[in-house]
Amino acid sequence: MGRKSEDREGLWLSDNSDKARLRAAENARRNRAEITAALSHGKVSRRDLVKWGLFSAAGIMAPIGGLNPFVRPLSGVTFLDGGGGGGGGCSQVPTGLSPSPTFGVAPFSQPMPRFDVLQRNPVSILNPAPQAQSNQTQQPVDPALVGGQTGLTGPIEGRPPGASWAHQRFAQLPPQVAIEVTTKPCIANTSYNPGVTSDLNSGINPAASLAPRVHPNFPVQNSNRIWTFNGTFPPKLGQMRYGEPVLFRHHNALPTDITNNGGFGRFTLTTHEHNGHHGAENDGFTGAYFWPNQFYDYHWPWVLAGFSSINTGATDPRAGAPDGNGGINKLPGDWHETMSTHWFHDHMFTFTDQNVYKGEAGMNNLYSSLDRGNEALNDGVNLRMPSGSAKDWGNLDFDVNLMVADKAWDSNGQLTMDTLAFDGFLGDQMTVNFAWKPFFNVYARRYRFRILNASVSRFFAFALSDGSNFVQIGNDGNLLPRTVNLTQTDQLGIAERYDIVIDFSRYKAGQTVDLVNLQQMASGQLPGQVLSVSQATSGSSCDPCVGGFLRFKIIGPPPQQDRSVDPSGNGQGIVLIPNPTFPTAVRQRTFRFDDNGQPTTSDPITSYANSGRWGIRTSNNGIEGETLSADYGRISAQPGFATSEIWTLEGGSGWDHPIHIHFEEGQILSRNGSKPSPAESGRKDVYRLHPNGTVVLQLQFRDWGGMFMEHCHNTMHEDNAMLLRWDINNAGQPFLNPLPTPISKPTGVTFETPDDILPSA
Amino acid sequence: MLMKNWIKLASASGLLIASAVFQFFPQAAIAAGPDASHFPNVELITQDGKKVHFYDDMIKGKIVVIDMIYTSCEYACPLETARLAQVQKKLGPRVGSDILFYSISIDPQHDTPEVLKSYMEKFHVGPGWTFLTGKKADIDFLSKRLGLYSDPSINKDGHLPHLLIGNEATGQWIRGSALDTPSFQARMIGDFLDNFKHSNLAEQKSTTDGRPLENFDQGQYLFGRQCIACHTIGHGESIGPDLLGVTQARSRQWLLRMIQKPEQLLDEKDPIATALFKKYNGVRMPNTSVSDLEANYIIGYIEAQTAARRQGIHR
Repeated sequence: MGRKSEDREGLWLSDNSDKARLRAAENARRNRAEITAALSHGKVSRRDLVKWGLFSAAGIMAPIGGLNPFVRPLSGVTFLDGGGGGGGGCSQVPTGLSPSPTFGVAPFSQPMPRFDVLQRNPVSILNPAPQAQSNQTQQPVDPALVGGQTGLTGPIEGRPPGASWAHQRFAQLPPQVAIEVTTKPCIANTSYNPGVTSDLNSGINPAASLAPRVHPNFPVQNSNRIWTFNGTFPPKLGQMRYGEPVLFRHHNALPTDITNNGGFGRFTLTTHEHNGHHGAENDGFTGAYFWPNQFYDYHWPWVLAGFSSINTGATDPRAGAPDGNGGINKLPGDWHETMSTHWFHDHMFTFTDQNVYKGEAGMNNLYSSLDRGNEALNDGVNLRMPSGSAKDWGNLDFDVNLMVADKAWDSNGQLTMDTLAFDGFLGDQMTVNFAWKPFFNVYARRYRFRILNASVSRFFAFALSDGSNFVQIGNDGNLLPRTVNLTQTDQLGIAERYDIVIDFSRYKAGQTVDLVNLQQMASGQLPGQVLSVSQATSGSSCDPCVGGFLRFKIIGPPPQQDRSVDPSGNGQGIVLIPNPTFPTAVRQRTFRFDDNGQPTTSDPITSYANSGRWGIRTSNNGIEGETLSADYGRISAQPGFATSEIWTLEGGSGWDHPIHIHFEEGQILSRNGSKPSPAESGRKDVYRLHPNGTVVLQLQFRDWGGMFMEHCHNTMHEDNAMLLRWDINNAGQPFLNPLPTPISKPTGVTFETPDDILPSA
Repeated sequence: MLMKNWIKLASASGLLIASAVFQFFPQAAIAAGPDASHFPNVELITQDGKKVHFYDDMIKGKIVVIDMIYTSCEYACPLETARLAQVQKKLGPRVGSDILFYSISIDPQHDTPEVLKSYMEKFHVGPGWTFLTGKKADIDFLSKRLGLYSDPSINKDGHLPHLLIGNEATGQWIRGSALDTPSFQARMIGDFLDNFKHSNLAEQKSTTDGRPLENFDQGQYLFGRQCIACHTIGHGESIGPDLLGVTQARSRQWLLRMIQKPEQLLDEKDPIATALFKKYNGVRMPNTSVSDLEANYIIGYIEAQTAARRQGIHR
């Protein structure tokens, strides 16, 4: 059992802290409040307080135990870090805040609400009709958005104007389905559509009004503490079909007063469809944000990568989508690039952490001829993962989205965060689909769970509480080349997705089994030790998010026979989607994510430029660069159109960064010089680096052009400088033909020449 | 009776601890974000010897730009201060009215108000930018609460050039790097954090349309990134010399070394480099890791600008 060293300032107490310490802190807090009141009422003077040694002359409370909640009592109680080792620091959960109360409510006492399925409408219902170029029809601008200036007008659509930001291939791939969402402060959900019958949703009655709260016995969230798509719980699910382009119209109905945000969050939005193979104008570029009272039309064409160069005649049924009648609509592109599980979330420059934490996150399930969402249809192409069979495609009965995230709330139960915890923010309570430690009723059969880590800074590692087996079928939303039998997952970095299949047929009605988090965090900077199931469930960890957080209750045998394919392959795994083959890489680049604490040369002066900057150092073609902060006006790399490159990602010491590269799935060639594990041998879009780790991967740049991003998906890191922009030249032109930077304002987007272009970008 | 507990505590503990640890402040009831209670109200001393409180006097209701520096820092700080001076110039007279710049010394024993004042002169710091010193413990605590603290063992400087920009009134805070692109910083501080209160939006036009740019001048970009914080070409002396005509006055080889390895020239007591070091108040030219290719681009740009300017003057 390690002991945590004294860290006076950073010391915040967790729920698992020694009871005496919590009491002492509470007393201290009360004492401080009393002094504050006494002072303000003139009962005592500052002079008195200074004289008594309670104040420094500067008017600051002295660090006396019992008076200051951040100082240990004199008895010298120390923290146990739960046997974790892992660097300790576990006591700083939640980061910068006091523990979140649970109001005497028992865990696993509420049903887990399944995602709320977004309505798919004909495009004709959209008014105004969508268009290739941004709709610049003018409307009055609310003076609150522009510092009180009156009489100004701005465009109704926030997308940058003109040809460069027009939807690419809009005439070739016209939208066939409209999905319209409005981000607004939270309200009760009176039109919840879980997409399944009530027995498959733990008995929740969808007709009942669903208030925005993390547990039915917790307080309802104030309207501006939670901002979500359509303003309601639970999170939203889009059901997408390859070859069926979608127009996702996103309205911003947030308050126009920037301070009306419940203490965190920013009213400008930009929506990233993670990790869609779409044009840059639809990627949620961090600088292409839109304002309250505007909308932004995102064109999600749902193409297979390589569609402009591979299988262009659409002859292979494996490259295809369900046609709605048991057949396949064959599509151009590489079937090896078929994806299954995305999410979509806000990507606002420097405010992604706050907005996503606040609720701006949903998921997209992608349906294809391979991964059809129908477990019964046996055409030799369909992989028949657990789902259901009532509909031709997109059955959700046994195909369940889980959005797992740590949260924190204040003494009134209102969601809160420490926005200045720049090194990483950790909550102290686990939520699934925004519900605190729920249960989920399951039949004794196979279920697919599409698990998303939607945290700000927290890593997870999952197991079942009985240590039993399950099968990983996907990573980052892509079905693996071969399934992997596991008793616990690898680490799950922020924004990573693991698709797993659990076979509950081994349980009897009335039994329960919990999904357990084994990953103890060392701090907001990096994960600590992965505990064993027994350690994690013993309650001894100082990290309150370790342990069981979702209880499966087995309710009995399934009403119909399970017709899904067993993905365990008797322990050997089965083949799902083999990896695509890459063309020869034409370039190499290195990106180092660090504060560069350790100079790379012994000469202090020559290493100065790279020592001490927090951000990303880009080295193009071996030309060592500087470590630079986020500036979306800077172009750090310009891969050529229709080429492939090898990128090396390096992590610094004392940190772990899950790096997300937008646009197209990559493959890990090596991790610290070795082959990647089977679970991360498929296609990926988030790469955990590990402290001092190196990941080498290969990528392709094809089909679309424009400006994309690469960043740490610990969103606290991302927002505070660990983000860079790279461009694919639209016309496939060589070097030095860069795209101007959009500058978004309520009165419209203007363009500026890039601030900076790195040498040999 | 209300105060009984803590009065007892004070007398029982008998502790008198000088180092300030936490400020308390009547807490605003609504906001959960960083409000007054988050920011220590420590006392600091300006370059003019004036005592100020961090929250009450420096940041409350303002847009602020804060970095931690120390004047004897040789490597990052000069460029950090030079780049911030560029940001200040871009923001113009707003600095000092609605926008305030603060550089707080993490070496307060050495950095007395007088030392800070002479440092400011070296870097042509304009009004509205205050340099501060104070008690070491107060400053360490403050830097931790602001997310600007770096462990002294982290590098040769013992210091990371973090920059905190924020609008206290709206509770929006961003941490970046003081070394980064000044035009971007100015935009974030002046427009974005200000909510366009001081921008004449009706007048703002694009400098270019959205199409890809043609005929890009790489030298101009490199000069803008690496050099412009301290040098002009024909616009007079700044923190360093005006480089108009420098490609004729010095050999190419010397220029390349000065651009790429300025510290070596100083170590070797190169007479020109030494004279320049003295002339410009002992500000070391930083090594910004310029490659051969980039150095040649930069020289080419200075040549072209010199020629263009001379033609312009003669015409």
